[in-house]
Amino acid sequence: MKEFWERIFRRQRPPSPARLREIDRLNQSLIACPSCDALWERPTLGPNEHAKCKRCHTTILTNKERSAERTVAFMVASLVLYAVSISFPFMRMERSGLSNEISVIDAVGILASNSMIILAMICAGLILLFPLLRIILLLFVGLSLFRKQSTARPHALSFRLAQMLEPWTMAEIFMIGVIVSLVKVGKLADIYLGPAFWGMAALIVIMAFGASAVCRDTIWHDIRRVS
Amino acid sequence: MKTAKDAGLARCSSCGTLTDRPGERCPICGADTYVRRPHSLQRVWAFWIAGVLAYIPGNVLPIMVTQSVAGDSPSTIISGVIALIHHGSFEIAAVIFIASIVVPVSKFIIIAWLALSIQRGWSLSEHRRHLAHELVELIGRWSMIDVFVVAALAALIQVGALMSILPGAGVNAFAMSVIFTMLSAMSFDPRLIWDNGALEGEPKNGGH
Repeated sequence: MKEFWERIFRRQRPPSPARLREIDRLNQSLIACPSCDALWERPTLGPNEHAKCKRCHTTILTNKERSAERTVAFMVASLVLYAVSISFPFMRMERSGLSNEISVIDAVGILASNSMIILAMICAGLILLFPLLRIILLLFVGLSLFRKQSTARPHALSFRLAQMLEPWTMAEIFMIGVIVSLVKVGKLADIYLGPAFWGMAALIVIMAFGASAVCRDTIWHDIRRVS
Repeated sequence: MKTAKDAGLARCSSCGTLTDRPGERCPICGADTYVRRPHSLQRVWAFWIAGVLAYIPGNVLPIMVTQSVAGDSPSTIISGVIALIHHGSFEIAAVIFIASIVVPVSKFIIIAWLALSIQRGWSLSEHRRHLAHELVELIGRWSMIDVFVVAALAALIQVGALMSILPGAGVNAFAMSVIFTMLSAMSFDPRLIWDNGALEGEPKNGGH
């Protein structure tokens, strides 16, 4: 774990301008396929076109139009919906006169306070922390690229982290889990869905759109340009 | 057809920048660059073994315990699926069965098959193996469903004396198994599939 953080935050000398020009020249002419390593001449793409590797058919280059703006828009919407989905009650259960209303944070709290620390931590990370971190990082990268600020180093680090977090944000899987659990309790108690449930449902949709708005190639290209 | 490896170049796995000095940190994003991920298969096997080991208690131990006036009733993943079938919720039973049994087991098999095919130099279709790897990366996360089902039930059903649901030890093991298997699939460098099945330093056609 320590090694992991050191690898991310290890200080390094920024490359010299000459080296950056060299790298830029190399990358202007060539591109390698991420999945089969085939080396191709870098194609010039029109807006919203994409290029595929001729050997393994993986998409090697995309050029989504106004990626930064659209990322910012979706991430602002995600942030609002995120606030809704953690602060309002998620669902309410009624059974023989007793009722129990919980928000997502309550749920994690209940797990943590009932000696289910591991489960609580897994849920807190995958449902609450990682999605929020990803939204904030993408917002930061999108916003400053959009405003053409030249802070390449933090950009690169943030966008790299956002990419790493992608497989570990599991809000959508959590929602399927909740729906399954509703079916399981359905016969034992009456369940009412709260605003946070619908907030999270919308959040999943918006985050999916947001993920498809992010154009890795354009963003990395812009970061390369600014640095 | 030339590869970046043939040209002495390395593609940064994080930002896609090509560098002519493999091994240096990527000048653009700061990630380590390499021609092929170092010790890729070793990592794959390490996480694979951890995943398989954690999968056993994940299935044998109860994932949740229902406490009620009638006493405690523990349930495992399989007994949960069977209970759902008895209740007539076949769709939900299928979702849980696929996410918790079919997906993890086929992931173990596919990852092992991919790693072995490279270590043994089996001449199998690259396209098929490429597809298998993409599939494993895509569906692996969905095995977490059952973990979240237990978390939601345990958080919701806390009505004290009447009935409450507690997570069992199995759910932690199962969650760990899913995480390890995801790490195993991520450690696999898909470019190895296209390297003519030969490991670095080994003769390309197997020698004798």
